[in-house]
Amino acid sequence: MLQKAVKIGHSSHVVTLDVRPQLLDALSALRERVAAARFPLPLPGAPRARANRDELLAQLDDYLVPRLRAPEAPLLAVVGGSTGAGKSTLVNSLVGRQVSEAGVLRPTTRTPVLVCHPEDQHWFSGMRVLPQLTRVWVPRREGEGANGVGPDGERLLRVETADTLPRGLALLDAPDIDSLVADNRVLAAELICAADVWVMVTTASRYADAVPWHLLRTAKEHDATLVTVLDRVPHQVVGEVSRQYGALLTKAGLGDVPRFTVPELPESAGGGGLLPATAVEPLRVWLAHRVQEPSSRKQAIERTAYGVLASLNARMPELAAAVAAQYAAALRLTSAVDDAYESEHARVRERLQAGAALAGDALKRWRAYPLDCGPEELLDAIAESLEALLLCAVTAADERIDDAWRREPAARAPGLLRHGSRHETALYEDDDSPEHRIGVAVRRWRRELEEHAEDEVRALDRADKNALPDAEVVAALLATALLGGRRARTAGETLAERIGAHGALRLRDRGGRLLTDYLDKVLGAERERRLAPLDALDVNPEPQAELIAALSVLQKER
Amino acid sequence: MTAVTAVTGHTDTDHTGHTDPTDDLDDVDDLEGPQGSQGLEALEGLDGSENSEGVDRSDVSGVSDALAAPDASAAPDALDPSGLSESSAPSDFSGSSSYSSRFSHSRRSSYAEQDSRAGEGDEDGDRAEDGERAWDDGLIARRVVVGASTAAGDFAAVTGAAPGAGASGSSSPETSPSYGESAAYDTHSPYENDAATQHTTVAYEGGLRGRLDALRELIGLSRTRLDSKTLAEAGQVLDEAAARRRLSDRHTVVALAGATGSGKSTLFNALAGVMISETGLRRPTTAAPIGCSWTDGAAGLLDRLGIPGRLRRRPLQGPDTQVLQGLVLVDLPDHDSAAADHREHVDRILGLVDAVIWVVDPEKYADAMLHERYLRPMAGHAEVMFVVLNQVDRLPGEAADQVLDDLRRLLDEDGIALGEHGEPGATVLALSALTGEGVDELREVLGQFTRERGAAVRRIEADLDAAAARLRPVYACGAGSASARGAIGLSEEAREEFSDRLAEAVGAAAAGQAAERAWRRHAGKACSAPWLRLWRWYEAQRSPYTTGRHVLRPPADEESTARARVEHAVRTVADEAATGLPAPWGQAVRESAARGAQGLPEALDELALRAALPDGRPPRPGWWPVAVLAQAAMTLLQVVGGLWLVGQIVGVAEPNLGVPVLLMAMGIVGGPCVEWASGLAARGPARRYGYEAERRLREAAAGCGRARVLDPVAAELLRYREVREQYVRVARRA
Repeated sequence: MLQKAVKIGHSSHVVTLDVRPQLLDALSALRERVAAARFPLPLPGAPRARANRDELLAQLDDYLVPRLRAPEAPLLAVVGGSTGAGKSTLVNSLVGRQVSEAGVLRPTTRTPVLVCHPEDQHWFSGMRVLPQLTRVWVPRREGEGANGVGPDGERLLRVETADTLPRGLALLDAPDIDSLVADNRVLAAELICAADVWVMVTTASRYADAVPWHLLRTAKEHDATLVTVLDRVPHQVVGEVSRQYGALLTKAGLGDVPRFTVPELPESAGGGGLLPATAVEPLRVWLAHRVQEPSSRKQAIERTAYGVLASLNARMPELAAAVAAQYAAALRLTSAVDDAYESEHARVRERLQAGAALAGDALKRWRAYPLDCGPEELLDAIAESLEALLLCAVTAADERIDDAWRREPAARAPGLLRHGSRHETALYEDDDSPEHRIGVAVRRWRRELEEHAEDEVRALDRADKNALPDAEVVAALLATALLGGRRARTAGETLAERIGAHGALRLRDRGGRLLTDYLDKVLGAERERRLAPLDALDVNPEPQAELIAALSVLQKER
Repeated sequence: MTAVTAVTGHTDTDHTGHTDPTDDLDDVDDLEGPQGSQGLEALEGLDGSENSEGVDRSDVSGVSDALAAPDASAAPDALDPSGLSESSAPSDFSGSSSYSSRFSHSRRSSYAEQDSRAGEGDEDGDRAEDGERAWDDGLIARRVVVGASTAAGDFAAVTGAAPGAGASGSSSPETSPSYGESAAYDTHSPYENDAATQHTTVAYEGGLRGRLDALRELIGLSRTRLDSKTLAEAGQVLDEAAARRRLSDRHTVVALAGATGSGKSTLFNALAGVMISETGLRRPTTAAPIGCSWTDGAAGLLDRLGIPGRLRRRPLQGPDTQVLQGLVLVDLPDHDSAAADHREHVDRILGLVDAVIWVVDPEKYADAMLHERYLRPMAGHAEVMFVVLNQVDRLPGEAADQVLDDLRRLLDEDGIALGEHGEPGATVLALSALTGEGVDELREVLGQFTRERGAAVRRIEADLDAAAARLRPVYACGAGSASARGAIGLSEEAREEFSDRLAEAVGAAAAGQAAERAWRRHAGKACSAPWLRLWRWYEAQRSPYTTGRHVLRPPADEESTARARVEHAVRTVADEAATGLPAPWGQAVRESAARGAQGLPEALDELALRAALPDGRPPRPGWWPVAVLAQAAMTLLQVVGGLWLVGQIVGVAEPNLGVPVLLMAMGIVGGPCVEWASGLAARGPARRYGYEAERRLREAAAGCGRARVLDPVAAELLRYREVREQYVRVARRA
């Protein structure tokens, strides 16, 4: 795994970290787990978790894995800071020629620029680091790709070479960390996370801003190799401001961070121009020292790399907790659905037992039977009544679910909530309404009931073929007896008279089972339909355990 | 500790002996934030979408948290701005008056923002609750002083960082926290103050007053339907409007706001012509707001802002003083430094002032913090907004113009109407407070602005617009499809459908049909030929299954109404009525329907009993006896014919075959004929009878449903319509 065979250009100062292949394996396993983590439910913590996941993934891909695989690769120093802090001017001045456009209009740098020694170029031309950025080689002309986005929408990284840079050092001019362009902010964070050395640029008028301070604290938490530059300091007040800045840094526990001050010169204000070499010389020397002195190089690399590794101890459990929260939310949603359908199921059974289906139209028909109402009409009415009962149960359950889900932020995931009212759904998807589905189910039930009745009648062993009862009548009586509860007692008696007590009992048994089956089937199908979008999100508890397991494997390997 | 003090030092020439080292330590503490919490919270601002959670910030949460964009583009289903104006023409925002059209731009943007929040729903409400950490917490975070005492305490705490002196030598500001008292510059006695209050009130134009009244009405009407969180902001607007109205209208309170180091204090001093506010290199410089009033009588206004007496200043008297007559200028702390309490000051005061001058500098004019947290939410306040590009002296040549143009572009993207070409909107100027370049121009514009004395009203109007826009999702209808829009309320079809469903539930149609058939059956029985009757009876006797005859009328059914159907009918009609209504009102409609539905099935049971046709034999038509008579006559004919024939056979009568056979034949054929004819004749009355039975049930059910369900629903809808009218009045500019 460890690519020691890679041709090493500047072997004189190669420092290899003590990296075992098992560690790399554990790291790639962990990376896969992190990449697999999903946060589809819009919980309050989900956007953060998603951002954390992406950031961690980016840092693993952009920095940690490539760094551990190729410890001899050049040191990458990322220059980051607020809008207008003079990052590009600083990079240009360090390089000694204009590689990154500087200007007065904000945000200036939209395409990040990487500068390295010509002989180090092969390290960066491939996809070893920052794999998701497309390399471009020529500076873009005005207008095209102005937003750091290529023609196909991919993000760009411009690679420049300059032999004024010492070998083994690469500088990256990142976009603003507080840019108005949101993508720039994300990109800036990603780039900074990919750095071996974080160069934080701030200015005399910005050193108390909140945003850069957060970044500094993050650097401290990650224990990254950090250096700060106080840029654009009016020369009259250099001492004053830099003293205060130093005090603030000390207060923040960053007192030992190397600090460089660059005075505000006409060149830095006007953009375009370069600062005189003397102004950036200390920083340049410091950076060169990091690269050329093996021990300090080793220290710089190790500090950042192990800092990131250590930060995993906190970041992975956090991700795992977010995954668990997702699963818990999904469970809550599911149980709301289950509860609603279970209670409706119970209610329907109760109603059926009480004979609630034999009410209204059906009851009137039954009262009129057989003198003023045919068996078919009676059966029709009963089937309709059953349909209404089931439909009522389903809509009531849906209403209860809506009610419960309205209180759940997780239910706002796209596709989970029903849009529009029932009225509109009926308008647009007539074939797919619950009315339709339940109607189909009830019709099927009725057909099966009739078949049962026919079977029973056919099985009757009567000498007088004319005396055989009409199957339709039997079916109607059976349906009435099944659904009518107490008030349809006479239906059961009549049925027994017609086909014999034994046959009637058997038929009622079968009919009862059939009814239960259909009831379960209809409500179950509706429940599944309701849960389908949630199931499609595929939120399950495994990733949490996997994340933690991957972390513990990694910890063992360290 | 002492080392820090030494390093920090003093940049200003402090005359009043404020050399207490703790001041500086406080200062540093402010920035550092002991657990990193202050600074982080300040930063949290940048990722608006997620700060409602209470995450422990000491975790290694990473960089991009801070940098993640507040994703405003995630706006779900956008509310159609014209939805509100559907049924009431005068409410149309894009009305023909030039006044309203001028504002269309800014308003549109605030809707866009509104839409994005609408998707966030309740979560949003939660966030509003902990407004302290919220990023998009409104056009201006409207956090009033909780209590004078705490505010005073705050001030006492922060004064250390505030400049004690720095103005003219005569200034010996008192450090007493009670700001109503005799401050060095504000020497108004309470009496004077009262007197000023009595006769100087902000002249509210009729339109604004009407809108405020409508808003008050609106809040009153919807208090029971909406949760208090939703209405809190509107209530705030009312309170602030009332508070501002009680105070002087001769003054215009303008705040200088901006990022740290952009030169607010320098500009403040340049306008005042005197070194009032400490300027310095130390960031952040100004820690507490400082007020400066050009004209007397502004004590009440400054009290309202919570600026203590020792932080009130007067400008240097000179020719320029006249230009800015009536101006009360407030120098605010920065809004973007790591000192979180500064931002609280800013947010609080921005909600109370009449106008704001945003001071930006070439370095920071594109900061996300400024644009996303302040300018975008305040886009509706463009008319009472100045944006000043300071420090142009740091820019070479035409770069200043470039930057100014870029700034204009950004403001435009923020949705802020720019006051170019005489149109109302934000004024954008470039100046250098240090060299004085452009300051006179600002003074001129500001003077003009102050003399108009319209800022307070315009600000309240803008607040009102913003509040109305925020309340839009809970009042405006038409979130649904085009068909649902416009028609709020129950359509005639929906009512019909409801009645039909109820009729079905009580079984009206079946009852009618049964009654019809029963009638015909009776008629047939009465008018059928006796022989046929006999035969039928025999058939029935022969068949084994004729016990189905209900000799006894069954006892009255207990629950004859189909409960499920009633429930479903009510649910459907409530859904129908709630279609297109904003969620809270839809819920109210559903609830009122559900309330009405309680006991509805029982009532229908009872009604069905009462409305059912009376027991016993159905009434008979007049021709029935005739038919029976005819049938009897036919039978008689047969009998007579038969007897006659028998007589002939026996020899009693003289043989005449023709007549008796004819008579018998007539009887035999005529019997069924009469039966058939009477069957035909019975069809009409039977149908009428059945129809009558059905109608009685149906009407009874419909009446019951109307009284119990439809009327409450209609009342609820009426209430909503009333509220919406009020809302339209609130939302409509004069």
